Amino acid sequence: MTSPVGTSRRGMLIGTAALGLAAAVPGALRAAPYDGAAWRRYAERFLLPEGRIVDTGNKGISHSEGQGYGMLLAVAGGDRAAFDRLWGWTQRVLMVRGDGLVAWRWTPDGGVADRNNASDGDMLIAWALLRAAETWQAEAYRTAAAAIVKALAAGVLVEQAGLTVLLPGRDGFRKGETLVLNPSYWIFPAIRAFAALAGGERWGKLSDSGLVLLSKARFGGFQLPPDWMTLDAAGTVGIADGFKKQYGYDAVRVPLYLAMDGYRDPYYFRPFATLATKFGGSAVPATVSLPGGTTTQVAASVGMLAVYRLACKLAGAGDAVTVPPLAPDEDYYSTTLAHLSALAAQSLGIDP
Amino acid sequence: MTRPVLLSALLLAGIAATATGGGSAAWAQSNGGARALAPGVKVEVAPAPGSGSAPAAGKVDETALRYYARIGDGERMEAEIARLRALDPGWEPPKDLFAPQPTATGVDETPFWTLMSAGKVAEARAAIAEQRRKSPSWQPSDKLLQELELAESAGRIRSASDTKRWQEVVDAAAAQPEAVACNRLDNAWRLAEAYAELKQTDRAFDTYKTIVTTCPKAKERRDTIFKASRHLSPERLRELSALGATANPATGEDYSAVRSAEAELETGRLLERLGNAKPGALSAADLSRVQGIVRDKQDADGAIALGWYFQKQKNFAEAQSWFTQANEWAPSDKAAEGLVLAYNGLGNKAQARAAAAPWKGKSSRIDQALKAVDPPRGPSGPGGGRTAPQGPSELDRALARHDFAECLSIIRGTIARSGPTAALLQQRGWCLLELKRPSEAEAAFAEAQTLAAREPAKGGASAPGKAGSRGPAASGLPQTATPAQENAYGQAIARLATGDVTGLTRDLPRANLTATQRAEIRASLMATEAGRALEDKRYNDVLRLLDARKELEPEPRNLGIVRGWALYNLMRFDEAYVQFKSIDDRLSTEESREGVSTAWKTIYHDW
Repeated sequence: MTSPVGTSRRGMLIGTAALGLAAAVPGALRAAPYDGAAWRRYAERFLLPEGRIVDTGNKGISHSEGQGYGMLLAVAGGDRAAFDRLWGWTQRVLMVRGDGLVAWRWTPDGGVADRNNASDGDMLIAWALLRAAETWQAEAYRTAAAAIVKALAAGVLVEQAGLTVLLPGRDGFRKGETLVLNPSYWIFPAIRAFAALAGGERWGKLSDSGLVLLSKARFGGFQLPPDWMTLDAAGTVGIADGFKKQYGYDAVRVPLYLAMDGYRDPYYFRPFATLATKFGGSAVPATVSLPGGTTTQVAASVGMLAVYRLACKLAGAGDAVTVPPLAPDEDYYSTTLAHLSALAAQSLGIDP
Repeated sequence: MTRPVLLSALLLAGIAATATGGGSAAWAQSNGGARALAPGVKVEVAPAPGSGSAPAAGKVDETALRYYARIGDGERMEAEIARLRALDPGWEPPKDLFAPQPTATGVDETPFWTLMSAGKVAEARAAIAEQRRKSPSWQPSDKLLQELELAESAGRIRSASDTKRWQEVVDAAAAQPEAVACNRLDNAWRLAEAYAELKQTDRAFDTYKTIVTTCPKAKERRDTIFKASRHLSPERLRELSALGATANPATGEDYSAVRSAEAELETGRLLERLGNAKPGALSAADLSRVQGIVRDKQDADGAIALGWYFQKQKNFAEAQSWFTQANEWAPSDKAAEGLVLAYNGLGNKAQARAAAAPWKGKSSRIDQALKAVDPPRGPSGPGGGRTAPQGPSELDRALARHDFAECLSIIRGTIARSGPTAALLQQRGWCLLELKRPSEAEAAFAEAQTLAAREPAKGGASAPGKAGSRGPAASGLPQTATPAQENAYGQAIARLATGDVTGLTRDLPRANLTATQRAEIRASLMATEAGRALEDKRYNDVLRLLDARKELEPEPRNLGIVRGWALYNLMRFDEAYVQFKSIDDRLSTEESREGVSTAWKTIYHDW
């Protein structure tokens, strides 16, 4: 719960950040806010001149998700030139499917390594284009975004058990009458932006179904969502076979996207806050097996901790999580999560 | 909750002011009193505290009460009035309870309550989160949140117990004790079961004890005794019944049924023992008690069990009277089988054949029994020159007693003396099946078949008693199985018993069987498949299989129960209730009672 004391500390932080001293605040217990300087550091580390974001934790490959995150952070960082380079490379290299969606995976050795799309990557790219159109008043971006959104609606939005849901990719996520879904592909603020486009009603339903599924898909002692879940024809949710049966690197983004969209119902943040506080807010395990609850020895990254800090605040668990500063060699995913958490906190008006 | 929201509203202005130089202005734009996080979407900013109209502190929260009044749920309304009075003795129910009322906070909670009452808890949560996003100053009433948490805990207890995660059942119940109170009896039972499964028998007993001493309804106490019978010793069950019949009586409740529950369970145990009893294993008192209860309830299954009890003691007259009784209460080939063998034991072959007549050629059970009445030529005597059976052989007598171990030993002796025959090996197969040794039975039938192929003369011969029933295949009369068909049938039954459903389904079209045998095997396969479909939660498949099966044979009780659960899981609760009820009305058992009560509670939200 934010307290009056918190207010003054927050005020002090904003003051120091404005002077560019955020990293130097002694014993800083919070993630740095996201700003133009943060973007420049991000671009130096992960954006190659040709316009692709490198997943440094993943053998230097690139993917549609990284392009989408990069484009979003470039808009928020006010860097239109970088944005255009990212979008150009994405169009040139990844949009080779012919259906308006984006091939999800690219390797330096082999080029496009998997032509299937990853729906969250497409969504991030389209959403970033919409934000760019708004920020820089450029209709071309909006037109491009609308085309991707239309292709997504045609290719991956499906109805199941009375719910409008999002297939994680065009191919391979139907097992008989059961669908395999990824809760962290519900990028709520992007979905809301799509719903506001002409003919976007089904996206509004996707938002509603996301909240319903997140209420149903709670497993194990912490009541966490799985990285990959199933939804059968009767509306029953389960933990998907064929993937690690766990909560982890994917699902950690669930509270992040909810917060980014302005949700603040503690009910939706409590499972993540419970996990973080159980581990003292520092050595939080990166994954939890479901439904068993076995935790890995690997600790959550800085970026994941930033998400937990946010979740704790929204769950009413206060400043339970300590977020160390980003390390010089912090990987792409962790750094991205840290920046997005800061943006979400800033938009909600709480400490990052 | 209004305070932090107010703070965040102030902070927003701060961010907007400082962010302009930092580049994040596009993200968290200040936009008059609202902010646009995503294009086209504005989020309301909190009003100052006091400007809203949240209920004053200390005032009784009437939200739920008004909701119950509005939907006309008198019972829950009364309960809520009682609860609120207990909270605040000075409080009086509002006079305008039934008048439409704008809600105090500006947000009408009705949609959330409606979703929750319909069991759509996740949908209610989603709608609330959406509302809170739109109006950050609003928060749901405590009562609504409590009810949601309760419903979720109850759901969690159910799913943890369905998937046998017993510790999670215990944890969830500990976190939300109200989820296992008398008005959620099913969950209280699941908690007790979880303790029992975790080998914490004392805690299981304590949980059952709490239920039978605090929940007022006699029926609930009685059902609890039945539930507990799976997990507690007879001694503790007796203790439980005594407590349930006397502790904290509520006016107007008759607890005699609670006390008699224990006796009914005892009867069940006795009947079970009767099934495996060696002659004389039951005391005279127990026996007369079972007989009395079976007569009272006109329980055909119980009567058949008693029939076999006496048949094994060679008390054929008493056996015959019980089998007759069973056949009158509920005609079945099982009852007729006993009757045939009892008459045969009495030496009354004409009556035995008459009892078999309605089922002859239709029931393998009866055809088997008839072999004891009119033994087929060949297997029991080496001569083969007999024109008529000379009274029952040693083997026939063993079969008539259902002494299948003896059957094996006689056949072993006969084979040792005079070598194997196809008919002997086939009989060995049937006895092995009865002894639940299906793999050996399958081998015996296969061996019989091989041998039959080398015995062309005998393979073509038919038993004298059956000659008259043989007709041309086209006549439509029941076709009597040839020995080869009997063997194929025996093998199929054995494979069913070993669980080789896939292989059997594959081979069935090519198997040499009579139409009746094929239909029977198909019916059994469909029953097995239906059971699997139920386990896999393919409920429409369950109904499809059971319907198809019903075309071939009447639906037995156990499949009727399966049908009930399939209907239930398809949320066809009314039909499920009717299904369970009709089974329960014929003979009430733990599983039929469970079906009736679960369906009832679901229909009336009476958890």
